[in-house]
Amino acid sequence: MAVDERKLEEARKPGFGLGLLKGMAVTLKHLFKHNTVIQYPDEKQDLPARTRGVIALKEENCTVCMLCGRECPDWCIYIDSHKETLAPKREGGRPRKRNVLDRFAIDYALCMYCGICVEVCPYDALFWSREFEYAEYDIRQLTHEKEKLSDWMATVLPPPPLEEGAELPGAPAETATAAGAAGAGSAQRPSSPAQDTAVEERPQQAAKTPEAAAASAPPEALASESQRSAGEVQPTGAGAAQAPTEQKSEAAVGDTTTAEPQQEIGAAGEQSDAVKSGSERTPSKPERKEAEAAAEPQGAGGSRGGEEPQAVYERVLQEQRDRGSSPQVAEARAKVARVKAERGLRSAVAPAPAAKPVPSAPQQTRPSEPESSGAPEASGPEPEPGPVAPTEEEATPAAQSEAEEATPAEQPQEEGTSPESPEAGASAAPQTSAEDPEAVYERVLAEEKAKGSSDAVATGRAKAARVRAQKGTKGPGG
Amino acid sequence: MAVTEDRGLADTNIDGVRDSSDVAAEVSSGKLMTEEMILNVGPQHPATHGVFRLLATIDGEVLVDADPIIGYMHRGYEKLVEARDYRQITNLVSRMDWLSGINNEIPLHIALETLMEIEVPPRAQYLRVAMLEMNRIINHLMFFASFGAELGAITPAFYAFREREDIQFALEMATGGRMHFGFFRPGGLKEDVPRGFFAQALKGVRQVIDRLPDYENLLIGNEIFKQRTVNVGVLPTDVAYNYGVSGPIARGSDITFDVRKDEPYLVYDQFDFDVCSAPHGDCFDRFWVLLHEVVESAKIVEQAIEGMPSGPIMGKVPRVVQAPEGEVYVRTENSLGELGMYLVSDGDRRPYRLKIRTPSYNNVSALPYVLKNTFVADMIAILGSFFFVLGDIDR
Amino acid sequence: MPEIALTAWQILIVKVLVILMVVPMGAIVGGYAEHKVMAHLQHRLGPMYPGGFHGWATTLADGIKFLYKEDIIPDAADKRVFSLAPAAIMVPIIMIYLVIPMDESLVIEDLDVGIFYLLAISSVSTIGVLMAGWSSANKYALIGALRSAAQLIAYELPVVLSAAAVAMLAGSLSLVDIVRAQDWMFILWPPGLGLALFLVFVTGAIAEMTRVPFDMPIAESEIITGPFTEYTGMRYIFSHMFAEMGHLIAFGGIGATLFLGGFQPIVPWEPLEVIPGIVWFLLKTFFMIFLFLWIRPTFPRVREDQLQKFAWKFLIPLSLVLILLTGAWVLYV
Repeated sequence: MAVDERKLEEARKPGFGLGLLKGMAVTLKHLFKHNTVIQYPDEKQDLPARTRGVIALKEENCTVCMLCGRECPDWCIYIDSHKETLAPKREGGRPRKRNVLDRFAIDYALCMYCGICVEVCPYDALFWSREFEYAEYDIRQLTHEKEKLSDWMATVLPPPPLEEGAELPGAPAETATAAGAAGAGSAQRPSSPAQDTAVEERPQQAAKTPEAAAASAPPEALASESQRSAGEVQPTGAGAAQAPTEQKSEAAVGDTTTAEPQQEIGAAGEQSDAVKSGSERTPSKPERKEAEAAAEPQGAGGSRGGEEPQAVYERVLQEQRDRGSSPQVAEARAKVARVKAERGLRSAVAPAPAAKPVPSAPQQTRPSEPESSGAPEASGPEPEPGPVAPTEEEATPAAQSEAEEATPAEQPQEEGTSPESPEAGASAAPQTSAEDPEAVYERVLAEEKAKGSSDAVATGRAKAARVRAQKGTKGPGG
Repeated sequence: MAVTEDRGLADTNIDGVRDSSDVAAEVSSGKLMTEEMILNVGPQHPATHGVFRLLATIDGEVLVDADPIIGYMHRGYEKLVEARDYRQITNLVSRMDWLSGINNEIPLHIALETLMEIEVPPRAQYLRVAMLEMNRIINHLMFFASFGAELGAITPAFYAFREREDIQFALEMATGGRMHFGFFRPGGLKEDVPRGFFAQALKGVRQVIDRLPDYENLLIGNEIFKQRTVNVGVLPTDVAYNYGVSGPIARGSDITFDVRKDEPYLVYDQFDFDVCSAPHGDCFDRFWVLLHEVVESAKIVEQAIEGMPSGPIMGKVPRVVQAPEGEVYVRTENSLGELGMYLVSDGDRRPYRLKIRTPSYNNVSALPYVLKNTFVADMIAILGSFFFVLGDIDR
Repeated sequence: MPEIALTAWQILIVKVLVILMVVPMGAIVGGYAEHKVMAHLQHRLGPMYPGGFHGWATTLADGIKFLYKEDIIPDAADKRVFSLAPAAIMVPIIMIYLVIPMDESLVIEDLDVGIFYLLAISSVSTIGVLMAGWSSANKYALIGALRSAAQLIAYELPVVLSAAAVAMLAGSLSLVDIVRAQDWMFILWPPGLGLALFLVFVTGAIAEMTRVPFDMPIAESEIITGPFTEYTGMRYIFSHMFAEMGHLIAFGGIGATLFLGGFQPIVPWEPLEVIPGIVWFLLKTFFMIFLFLWIRPTFPRVREDQLQKFAWKFLIPLSLVLILLTGAWVLYV
């Protein structure tokens, strides 16, 4: 009997108007209170990372296992595929068969947003994104085909860190090692699950994609791109090891456009083999972790060398617009960038002047180091060394754009370019090259075409690269 | 007069004037009788929370007879679930009573865990309790809001929704959903809650408690509100028993029955909370109980979060969730009353039969009794104080 | 002022135009005020977008939207009555504005029996409400109309009685004279008595306007705007929204005139008289309107029988007593 009967009887008695006055006082009090309303289209609530807004598809990861479609309670996922026979990997090997995804569509008019498909996907091909603004006037347009679903991928946030007392999923042991190596305090780093995921994802991907990618793109171009993307990270402030870390953490989110090429490298050339091995080999992991760990305190402390989250937002938004992304996508990407900036997941991306001089910058040729985590760009007259974080391959478009932004690399990697260890690379702030913007444009365009990007995307990226090159040349770092 | 005596109520009149049931009785006894008119309230009517229809025979302003008609929203859940596996059902049943989604999931999972003999780790149990109670608060605030709005006081609705938002956000942080959480799995939870969840949840519930005095000033203390609710729509204890009424409505009629207390599931027996009840059975008491249950739920949430054990959130569950042959009835305290699920399994991945006993269905069955001989305006107050969700009635 | 010779007809036309402008404009401003004040009382922002600055054009946009809506007349409705009802509601409300003095000379017609005219005309619109409710061939509308009529009869009396007391205090039925008589506002002086009269007047006015807590006739969660259930488009704004706003502002003005000293400064103090009378009048009217708006979101509505009980058993006896006291005050003080 929680209800105090006397109180209840008291409350039931009729009053003499005092209650009315009290009520009026309450409303009057609220008249002068500050409002908590969110003016929706202008300001948007920062939704939690787990928000079930829209389902994003990471096409490369999909093996057409049909689990999602089968588990869907209202059968709103449509999948078509065909089998393809591929040439054997090695001479005299057995030709292999592989499922190729032809159609992957989700009918959001039917979807009940239960998230079972995301949950059951064994290959991490489906993710929840917190975007929700895709209402349409025509119900048929609510069926998102795989292109659109892949677009959403850019808006996917890394999974949030877990609450205290939770058992960490993934590889807690690994994290511990890394933490141990790096020193105290970093083990708690929230972003680690995300990174772990990224790390885990790789082998699968590597296994799945090489052939396809090989067919589609010349390795050099790919290599160069990936290197560039790694290379231009400019640590702006303190932590030397920050650059690789940052990018890596972004890798967790994973848009895979850059991922494929990188995996290709292994098959493509010796040197890039080094890159690959650097990235995949287990021994390198601790180092990366270490680098991360070193960077973390700084990130956590909020003293990002880089920009304010809002600035990041503005900038990424602008970049995306320049690239010709749809406003929706641009905004979403920008938001993701902002969130990451807020969480301290990334910095690095400042287009602004590189803070540090670049002692080790020009490294034309170097013996490859086994434990290296990156390969510097070494080709042109403008050397572009930068620590390449191995797992960065799948950077979010946002990350990618940032990455691309900094230094238009001269040319594809040459043989004999040596990877650089993170420690070494750390001190080396990558610079922007003095390449002519137009040249950059042409080059990037060619690369994109080679990669098989659609015309629009290719031109978009090329333009963005040009813009960045223009900016970069002006910047003190270049 | 006869009606009043039937209900076994003394003349609990408050202002020295005969209350509505007396006037109404006089009308129906023939003294003031005029021509009757049939008024069709619903299926689309703002006071019916959806597609609920009330065929009211009115004589002037007095309801001589009321006949609730349901079924406009029947979706056939009991049949739907027979074609779906348990994970899918989790997401389906949360759509029955859409205001307390996660409360609908729990009986199913307890039933499954009982059949499969899974032990749920303590952390999962505590998290479940915390979320269930947060959901209950959200639900109660919603009814608080709508009850005020139906009586013409629109402001509490906005305040209540403001308070709901913080708790809602906490639940969204954890589950990703705002109404249909789909967060429980046989053996535990889908995943652990993200960092910041506890803080947000505590912030939410404490805020509600802090702001309850505002609500009391706005509604409970308001003389007009009292006039509209005290001794209006009296549901006597025995009638409540006979109709199988449960939840806050039954507790408003002096039935201190709460599954959480009387037949504790999960870890409810480890928490200190009270079962609210009030003796008069009128709209005011139902509302009073509703408001005080919010306080109790907030207490539980705080205790659960403060005593949260660490550890895994999933028990040992086989990869394929497949209940062995057998049957079990599980009842839990939904936000609106006793929610029972009778699960019959033939060993498949799907239930052979799932009978769902929803609280709202039983609760509204008492409506014709309560509505008889009241005013049209009282009808609104009574409908509002009967706290039903259409999806829960029709399933 | 330059001498402009206007014939009586021209003056009349100007006056009519002014009145016809004032009511819709007032409705637009009043509607906006209602949106915003209620929103802030309820801890939200209200309309923010239409028109740019804090959604100032909301009600304008609303009105235009209604203009474009289809005018539906139910098959079973009594069509002529149905279509005439909005006019029958609207015209008396417009006519209230005739006698309200906004400034010493800024009054359309200073009738000798101003207060009498005011009270008479303000209740005529109920006939329109009855017409609307009856002709709609809708049960909800019928219930609403009957409630409305019953409520009008009950609450007209307290308003009339309190206004009569004011006339006694001022010694005149002309509204301009009533205002002039208020060196000190009637709400302050006679002390207590004036306040009591004012409260009776406000209660009665709210009931006449059918606003919360006395909005049983239109109770939207119950009988869905009552008599206007079947109205759409232009007819709906005229019968419901314009009427409501017109009423609101009219009663704000009446309250300001009768109890708050109309165009006089709030206290008889020399420097305050620099401010023009119309400013005082508008300020006081806004205060009254704010009061009405403040009450609306705060209270639940009372039931029909309780409303009648309250009027006949409490309010009317109270106002009779107040009249007696006023008489005593006038005679002996």
